[in-house]
Amino acid sequence: MNASRTSAIDVATRWIIFALLIAYTLYNIGPIFWLVLSSLKSRMDLFSMPPKLFFTPDLSGYQSVFGVGSAKDSASAVGVFDSLVNSVIVSVSGTTLAVFFGTLAGYVCSRFNFIGKGDFMFFVLSTRMLPPVAVLVFYHLMFARLGLADTRFGLVLVSIFANVGLATWIMKGFFDGVPKEVEQIAIVNGYTRMYAFTRLVLPMVRGGIAATAGFCFIFAWNEFAFASILTTTQAKTLPVKISAASGATGIEWTQICAAGVVLIVPVLIFFYLIRKHLLMGMTFGVLGRR
Amino acid sequence: MAEISLKNLTVDFAGFKAVDDVSLTVKDGEFVVYLGPSGCGKTTTLRCIAGLVNATSGDVLFDGKRVNELSASERNIAMVFQFVSLYPHLKIRENIVFPLKARGVPRAEIARKLDWVTDVFKLGDELDRYPSALPPGARQKVALARAVIRDPAVLLLDEPLSAIDEQFREEMRWELGHLQRQLGVTTIYVTHDQREAMSLADRIVLMNNSRIVQISEPDRIFFDPVDIFAGQFIGSPSMNLIDLVPVSGGLRLGDSDVTLTVDHHDLPEWALSSRKPLKLGVRPLNVHLVDGPQGGGSIPVDDVFSVGRERFFTFTVGDNVYQGVDKRTNRSGTEGRVSFDPAGLLFFDAATGRRVDGGAAE
Amino acid sequence: MTDHGHTARQAELKRRSSGRLMIFGFLSPTLAILLFMVAYPIFSLVYYSFFNFSALRQTTMKPVGLKNYEFLLTDPALWERFVFTGKFVFICVALQMLIGIFVGYQLQKNFRGRDIVFTLLMMPMMLSPVVVGFLWRYMLNSEWGIVNFLLSSVGLSKIDWLGQTTPALWAAAAADTWMWTPFIILLATAAFRGIPETIYEAAEVDGASPAYRFFRITLPMSAPVLFIALILRLIDSFKQYDLFFALTGGGPGSSTETVSFAVAKTAFSYFYTGEASALAVILLVIIIGLSMILVRHLQKMGEKY
Repeated sequence: MNASRTSAIDVATRWIIFALLIAYTLYNIGPIFWLVLSSLKSRMDLFSMPPKLFFTPDLSGYQSVFGVGSAKDSASAVGVFDSLVNSVIVSVSGTTLAVFFGTLAGYVCSRFNFIGKGDFMFFVLSTRMLPPVAVLVFYHLMFARLGLADTRFGLVLVSIFANVGLATWIMKGFFDGVPKEVEQIAIVNGYTRMYAFTRLVLPMVRGGIAATAGFCFIFAWNEFAFASILTTTQAKTLPVKISAASGATGIEWTQICAAGVVLIVPVLIFFYLIRKHLLMGMTFGVLGRR
Repeated sequence: MAEISLKNLTVDFAGFKAVDDVSLTVKDGEFVVYLGPSGCGKTTTLRCIAGLVNATSGDVLFDGKRVNELSASERNIAMVFQFVSLYPHLKIRENIVFPLKARGVPRAEIARKLDWVTDVFKLGDELDRYPSALPPGARQKVALARAVIRDPAVLLLDEPLSAIDEQFREEMRWELGHLQRQLGVTTIYVTHDQREAMSLADRIVLMNNSRIVQISEPDRIFFDPVDIFAGQFIGSPSMNLIDLVPVSGGLRLGDSDVTLTVDHHDLPEWALSSRKPLKLGVRPLNVHLVDGPQGGGSIPVDDVFSVGRERFFTFTVGDNVYQGVDKRTNRSGTEGRVSFDPAGLLFFDAATGRRVDGGAAE
Repeated sequence: MTDHGHTARQAELKRRSSGRLMIFGFLSPTLAILLFMVAYPIFSLVYYSFFNFSALRQTTMKPVGLKNYEFLLTDPALWERFVFTGKFVFICVALQMLIGIFVGYQLQKNFRGRDIVFTLLMMPMMLSPVVVGFLWRYMLNSEWGIVNFLLSSVGLSKIDWLGQTTPALWAAAAADTWMWTPFIILLATAAFRGIPETIYEAAEVDGASPAYRFFRITLPMSAPVLFIALILRLIDSFKQYDLFFALTGGGPGSSTETVSFAVAKTAFSYFYTGEASALAVILLVIIIGLSMILVRHLQKMGEKY
């Protein structure tokens, strides 16, 4: 607070803190930098020793992810673009439905008292704690029996389940921020509760719905465990597809790095858009509106 | 306990002078109140004494020793803040002994001192509760207990009563004054409430626009303001301020047909010959509505109203409405004569706002 | 009068029933999907755990009682998984909390470009865990990885990170810490910034040194938030699967298999579905038990002030 009052110990402490911060920043940023750099390297540059900082960019990794250019026909690139399409379809539809259901449930949890409400809320929260592999042991069987294995529909179902709890909690937080008088006035004026909900309350939480959708999308988009077990060929998502990106010549690092960059871009955008609500989403709304 | 001096203290916040060339000495054991409108620099001055804000230039002296370079924790001061600043995660007991523990005072002494302040502030029942369980007034009492527990060189109070209910505030104010006299601790108190200042202070330091306007005892600052600001800021209802127009034989009140003369109103001789335009300041309690017809010049009385047992009246000069005290025996209608108490007439330079009748603080 | 009261009661009943309709209608999709995707699978898992059963040969289901549990709990290999998971969780949570609180404390002050620095620092946790696994596997390659290159360029010897058990544990911890420390930073910063400035000023006036302020004011006042961060990281690193899948594949041998990894391997490589169910049930009991204890503790913290 007071720059003028410094002793030798203070100065030393300050420098140590500064050095530690720099060290952490390098640890934090370095791998991201390396990821982006490697996504632009040709196979030759990738393995060169010492590693190259300057090289001619090679876009084959991105070409195979987007299924364009000469690299799309290489053995390892087959189906990568399809998996990107799958990722988009599954995460967008899964997010939409999870947010829709979560909004309804969140509203009820915010406005009504009903028997077993506490248990319901805890049950919903506990889905956040659930290890995916545990339920997967059974999903594996269930999906095969119901013909859902390796289908986008099956993955959408999983995506809804994995996100509806999060959506419910966050939306409850946003609804809690809308005064109850909004509905009371509408009802006093002869409108139905449903009308008050759809025409008055929902428009007031538009921002909240967008933030919730952002979070659900991020989790759905990055999801790996479910998709890796429940898909075999047709419905593979991008994270799953790149995990199998090992052709005859070993792991396709360029392609993996390019896919990593492609995967992070939408997340970065959403993160930026919903930055004000970060805490609410990351902690299931437990910390939300403090 | 200590004597606190400020020498040409200036605090500059990126081009804005929050405190501008302030000098003052607070004597050992004295109770000084900084009074002024919000944004006048009184809180910044206090925070500068505390060591929470750095002086841009000038010195802060404790018992003659420069403390500018010492941090707040090294100055042996205690402070009570405007908004409650108790540690919410600590029980009242822990809150009160925090300053002692932070300084590593031996346990036996902590216990002894805790007993003492508990007794002084009658906090026995609250010790094991958390701050959130106490009403705001009681919280400030705890903050005060925490402040005095370690015999600070100076006790700094930043509008400590402003967040408290009106009713409880009176009581706290009285207790605070009593306590300060009992402990004899040098105290600097910041407030925008003139009643607090009037009832607590040994001396009032009136500030405006980052500068000291006047330093006086409470009575003198009321009867002897150094300028228009001081006159109008202190006193409620506010001092009447009327333009004076030189006419033959006297000074006319604005555009009315009332003229102050040497004979009738003890108008000082010099005022007649003054070359500067003047303004008349007169407190409502020195303007009376008395029985009798309006002779000579007259001021129309607009309205008569009562506040509690007192009766007031309003009158208009030019575009301004002024107040006075109704002293008629027949208290109906608005008939009567407006009279000025000669002893209460204050003359100000219309251009600079300074007192020109040779009053006090010149 | 009675008529009026009657109408009012009817209106009240009508209002209540419309409320009930709304509760039912709005909750049922969420409830249905959670019952179908959580409750039903968990009950089925418990059921299957009493059978000797493979997903590959679904016709033969031999009831074996508690044999699966008996086998698992006496299997030293499973205990090794638990010990490994425990070590991993401990290292990760300790490192993440320490670094996160330290960096968060430094970043709580306002400075120019704070938003940009923050967004950049949050990037690791935006990545898919499987990408994180591959990225670190790529960087930690013993021959041409950047990490060993940097080590050798400052004169240290190269380490076979993923080929030995202990380095592989630290590699996994480094990757998980890399990914999730930003999360702790985010929460810690929010918690620290939630403490009013006057509290710090009061403490400074009260003569508290910076260290005393940090340990007696900052930490205890942000304890509930930090505890939530701790719970989430504890549970999440305990069930970590994706990272190990991509980073070590459980190797070398099976030395970096977490309990989650073991469930997946038993179920989807060996297809011992009955045994995997029993293991999944054990994992669920531990996680649910752990989270209930922690959440209860959190509620107690919240009641205090």
